[in-house]
Amino acid sequence: MNLDLIELVSIAAALSAILMAGSTHLSMNIALYSLQTFLLSLATYSLAGLRAESHFIWVALAIVVLKALGIPLFLHWIMVKIGVNSDPGTTLAPPLAMHCCVLLMGLSYFLAQSLPSSSLEGHSWANATAAISLLLSGLILMLTRRIALSQIIGFLVIENGIYLFALTQTSGMPLVVEMGVLLDVLVGVMISGLLVFRIQRSFEHIDVTQLTELRD
Amino acid sequence: MDSLLKLILLPLLAAGLSLLKLNPALSRGGVSLIFWSQFAYLIYLLEPVLLGKIKVLTLVPGIAADKIGALFALLTTLVVATAMTHACFFFQNESQAEPGSEEHVRIFYFSASLLLMAMTFVCFCDNLGYLWIAIEGTTLASAALVFHSRTKHSLEATWKYLIICSVGIAFALFGTILIFASSQQAVDAVGTLEISGLMAMAPKLNYSLLRLGFVFCLLGYGTKAGIFPLHSWLPDAHSEAPAPGSAMLSGGLLNCALLAIFRLSQIVLSAGHENLALKLPLVMGVLSVLAASLFLVRQSGIKRLWAYSSIENVGIILCAIGLNAPALFFLLALNHSLAKTAIFLLSGNIIQVCGSKQIHDIKGVLANSPVWAMMLAVSAFAVTGAPPFGAFVSEWGLLALCADKGYWWVVASLLMALALSFVVVSYHVSRCIWGTPAPTYKTLKQLPGAFFPALLIISTLLAGTTALTQKLVLLP
Repeated sequence: MNLDLIELVSIAAALSAILMAGSTHLSMNIALYSLQTFLLSLATYSLAGLRAESHFIWVALAIVVLKALGIPLFLHWIMVKIGVNSDPGTTLAPPLAMHCCVLLMGLSYFLAQSLPSSSLEGHSWANATAAISLLLSGLILMLTRRIALSQIIGFLVIENGIYLFALTQTSGMPLVVEMGVLLDVLVGVMISGLLVFRIQRSFEHIDVTQLTELRD
Repeated sequence: MDSLLKLILLPLLAAGLSLLKLNPALSRGGVSLIFWSQFAYLIYLLEPVLLGKIKVLTLVPGIAADKIGALFALLTTLVVATAMTHACFFFQNESQAEPGSEEHVRIFYFSASLLLMAMTFVCFCDNLGYLWIAIEGTTLASAALVFHSRTKHSLEATWKYLIICSVGIAFALFGTILIFASSQQAVDAVGTLEISGLMAMAPKLNYSLLRLGFVFCLLGYGTKAGIFPLHSWLPDAHSEAPAPGSAMLSGGLLNCALLAIFRLSQIVLSAGHENLALKLPLVMGVLSVLAASLFLVRQSGIKRLWAYSSIENVGIILCAIGLNAPALFFLLALNHSLAKTAIFLLSGNIIQVCGSKQIHDIKGVLANSPVWAMMLAVSAFAVTGAPPFGAFVSEWGLLALCADKGYWWVVASLLMALALSFVVVSYHVSRCIWGTPAPTYKTLKQLPGAFFPALLIISTLLAGTTALTQKLVLLP
C-alpha cells in the first residue's frame, strides 16, 4: 500500500478534520482548518503538473490566499473581538465525536470502494476516502458544536471535503465555476461572521443551541 | 459578455440607486420603476422564445433561455417588481411607527436588487455549476431581507436560514460534482456540466453516480425549496422578514429552487430512468403536502400560516415535476406566486394595523379596514385553490393527470390535504376578519395598500377563468 504525495496530503487533511472534532479550542480549530486548506492547495498544485492543467495553479493560489489565510484570519479576528475561545460541545462530547469521526473514516473507505473506477490521475480510493471523510467530519462538527463560530468552521470543512472530491474524482471543475463557488463561500463566511457579532450583541452569547424562541 | 450585461444592467442600476442617500420616496420609486422596466425589457428580449419562434436563446455559453426558464424569469421579475413597489407604501408606514430606519430600508432595497439578479440567473442557467452558484447567491442576497427588523427573532431566523440552506446547498454541490463525474465515466468523454450537453449524452452517463448525484441535488435544492422534512428554516424566515420580503421569498425564491429540481429531473429522465426522475419527487411532494396541511392546523402566527401553505404548494408543484408535466409545473407555480404574493402583502398591511403577527391579536379587520379584510378573504380562497381562481384550474389539472396515470393514492392524499388546508385557512382567516377591533389598532389609508394585491388577484382570476394562460404556457 504505497501512497503518493497527493494521497498522503489528502489523508493528512482528513486527519486534521478528525483532530478538529476532538478539540475544544476555537483557535486550535481555526489553525487546523488553515493547515487543512493549505494541504488541499498543495494537492491542487501537484495535480496541476500531473494532469498538465495550468488553471489548477491559479486555483491553488486563490485557495492559499483566500481560504487558507483570509478566512482563518477573519474568523480569528471575530474570535478575539468576542472573546470566546472554547466550545464545550453539545450532546456528543468532543473526544467521543473524534472517535466517531475515526469510525466514519472507516465507513468512507467502504463508500470510496464502491465508486466506479477511472484512469484519471489522482483518482484513487485513498483520495476518495479522504474527501468523504472530510465531508462527514465537517457534518459531525456542525452537529456537535454549540458556538456559532464552530458551525461556520464545520461548514467550511464540509466545503473542503467537497472540493477535494471534485479535484480528485473528476478532471476538476471549470475555472469559472470554481471561482464562483469560492466567491459564494467567501461572501457566506463574511455574512455569517457579521451575524455572529449581532448574535453576541443581542443575546450576549453565541451559543446557537439556545436560539430556540421561534417555534410553532 | 455583452448580452450578459444586458440581463443584469437594470438590477445593478437599481442596486446602485438604492444605496445612494437620496430622498427615500425618490430612490424607492426609482428602484421600483427600474424593476418594472426590467420586466418590460425581459418581455422584449425573450419574445422569440415565448412565442416559440426559436427554441433556445443563448446569451453566452452556459447562460441560455428556454421557454420554461423565460416564463419563470418573467414571473420572478413580476413578483419582485410588485412586492418592491408595494414596499414603498409599506416602509412609509413602517418609518412613521419607527423613525430612523432609513439605512435598513436602503439595505433592503439593495439586497432585493441583488436577489432579483441572482434569481434571473437561476432561470437562465444552462450549466449545473452556474446554477449552484446562482442559487447560493440567492441565499446570501436574501439573508438581509430576513434580517431587516434587527430583532432577536429575526436574528435567530436569519442564522437558521443561512446555516440550514448553506449546508443543504453544499449537498447539492456534492450532487453536482457526482453528476459531473458521471459524465466523465462515459467512453471518450471529457465531461460537461452543461444541462443541454448532459441531456444529449444522458444515456451514456454512469448510472450509479448519476443516481447518487440526483438524490443529493434533490435533497440540497429541496432544502432551499422547503420540502418536508427539510423545511424547518422556512416558516421562521418567511414570518420574520417584512411583508415584501416574505412575498419575494415565497413567490420568487421557492420557484427558483423548484426549477433547479425540474432541470435535474429532466436530465435523469433523458437518461431513461423514469422511476428515479419522477417517482422520487412525486413521493416527496405528496409527503410535503400532507405534512404541511397538518402543520397548518396549529399555527398561531398569520405569516407562519402562509409559510406552511407555501410548503404545501411546493409539494403540489413537486408532484407536477413528478408527473413530467412542464406546462402544469409552470401554471401551478404561477398561480401560487401571484396569490401568495398578494396575501403576504395584505397580511403585512394588517400586521401594521394591529401591531402583532399573532392570529389571536388580530380581530375585527373588517370593521377597521374593510377593503383589506375583503381582499384577504378573497386571496385566501385563491391561495387554497378554490374556484374560480387559477390555482383551482391548475390543481384540477394536476389531479386529472394523476388519475389518468392511475396514481389514485396521490389523488386521494392531495384531495384530503387540500380539503383540510382549505378548512383550516378559512377558519383562521375568519377569526381575523370578524369580531371587534382592539382600541390600539391604527387606521391606515386603504387604497394605496390594496392596489398591488388587487392587481395580483385579478391576474390569478384571469388565469383561472380564461384560456389565455393555458395557450401561452402550452409548450410546443
